[in-house]
Amino acid sequence: MISAEGVGIQFHFDRYRRVVTPNAARFRSGTSTTWGLSDVSFSSRGGEGIALIGRSGSGKTTMLRTLASVYVPDEGRLRVRGPVASLLAIDAGLLSMLTGRENALLLGVLAGLSRRAARRALDSVKERSLLGDAFEYPVLAYSQGMRARLGFAVAEELEPRILLLDEVHEALDYEFRTVVQERARALVEAGGVVVAAGHDHPLLEQMCSRAIYLEDGKIVGDGPFRDVQRAYLEDVRTGNPHE
Amino acid sequence: MSGEIDHVAAHAPARTLGEQLRRHLARVVRAVDLLHSLTEADLRYRYGRSPWRFLRWSMEPFALVGVYLILVTLILDRPGTAPGLSLAAAVVPFQLVIATVGNAMEAVDVRRPILLNMAFRRNLIPISSALTECASFIASFSIVAVMMAAYGITPTLAVVWLPLVVLVNVHLAIAAAYAASLLGLWLRELKPFLLSFVRMLFFLGPALVPLSQTSPKIENLLRLNPLTGLFEAYRDVLLNGQAPAAWQLLYPFAISSVILGVFVPLYRTEQRQFAKVV
Repeated sequence: MISAEGVGIQFHFDRYRRVVTPNAARFRSGTSTTWGLSDVSFSSRGGEGIALIGRSGSGKTTMLRTLASVYVPDEGRLRVRGPVASLLAIDAGLLSMLTGRENALLLGVLAGLSRRAARRALDSVKERSLLGDAFEYPVLAYSQGMRARLGFAVAEELEPRILLLDEVHEALDYEFRTVVQERARALVEAGGVVVAAGHDHPLLEQMCSRAIYLEDGKIVGDGPFRDVQRAYLEDVRTGNPHE
Repeated sequence: MSGEIDHVAAHAPARTLGEQLRRHLARVVRAVDLLHSLTEADLRYRYGRSPWRFLRWSMEPFALVGVYLILVTLILDRPGTAPGLSLAAAVVPFQLVIATVGNAMEAVDVRRPILLNMAFRRNLIPISSALTECASFIASFSIVAVMMAAYGITPTLAVVWLPLVVLVNVHLAIAAAYAASLLGLWLRELKPFLLSFVRMLFFLGPALVPLSQTSPKIENLLRLNPLTGLFEAYRDVLLNGQAPAAWQLLYPFAISSVILGVFVPLYRTEQRQFAKVV
């Protein structure tokens, strides 16, 4: 379902440390590069939840964005088979000037639904998101939790086999967090994959039996959640970066 | 350095020609759906949803033509024939091009939340920018109707050329959108200058006065500007009641095709990096 072989994601910076494209970097002086992910290899055949753990800036978000095809690998090979739904940004991919309904329609179409199907799904998205009348208001007025609810409700409508969650689920209130956990568990039981990143380990553990520990864009641990978490916390406690 | 992503939703390879055609058709329908949704969202994002936007789209060309009319008739004292309509024939097509460039330069940044959350056909973003500005372009034709009525000019059979002229105009706008999307990302600090450069092309063409009224010394130089042919084509169809000369349509079409030929492949390469730079 997911197979990554030596995947690398490179970032180019100009002399002012702003990210630029490789072509733009070619025509500038004083540029530098760094690898956001380097030599990342792992696979999943489905039926499991995978937690990405590690310090801030270790590559968790980059890994999720790569799995969502938001970033294209600069080296290596990534195979992702099956429909993917992602909730990767704190604003859940919503445009603030549009209403919840307009965002749901746009995201549905961008994610692969036809306009007709996306329109048909709107009432269901409204119901799932528990937003009530706020569904008709501009997203500008939404809290982070409301945005995450809407993003998740749209993602669910896509009937994904692979669900990618990046910390946004941590912004959810208790009620909706339970909904997310239940849905994630159901997806895993049905043979799908959930990949979730964050710092709320108890929450991650409820969704994921496996964990991947990232440090400086490299995988330094991969295995049962408890074992990998222990190694990570030990590194944090001793203040030693993983060698 | 090379990377590869192989994202397969659930398709087996197409075996028959019929299946290939069906899939091709499905891709076209999908592209239309995407463009529709991107453009609809962009229209609401840029222009809101109040009915005042229609007034704005209609009034903007009136304001511009009004200012240039004062300049041409009172200050420069070179009114010519039906100066209001002649100016509208330049202002309307130019507004589509410059509004599209302005939109396209921000188009990738504006969609940052989506770009960072999901993969979709980002190649369609510049076309969506041009289609968004087509809304005001269509509304701005009201000035053409008003000017024709004001000068008592009735449409002739030459008006059948108008759809072709509009198509060439939109083609140029789409080409400019691809270039502007990339230049807006590569040269963020120079966005105001890029917009000024496009505005300069308006004045370095027969916008205020027809080509026939410009100095013979620079007439051929002005023809190098792709907007020259467009302005003159609109004038021929709407004001002079004659079919546009071939060069008036072929030259802008050729220039925009060259721009597309250069920038579309570059855009395809660069869009892989958009999520990193927004």
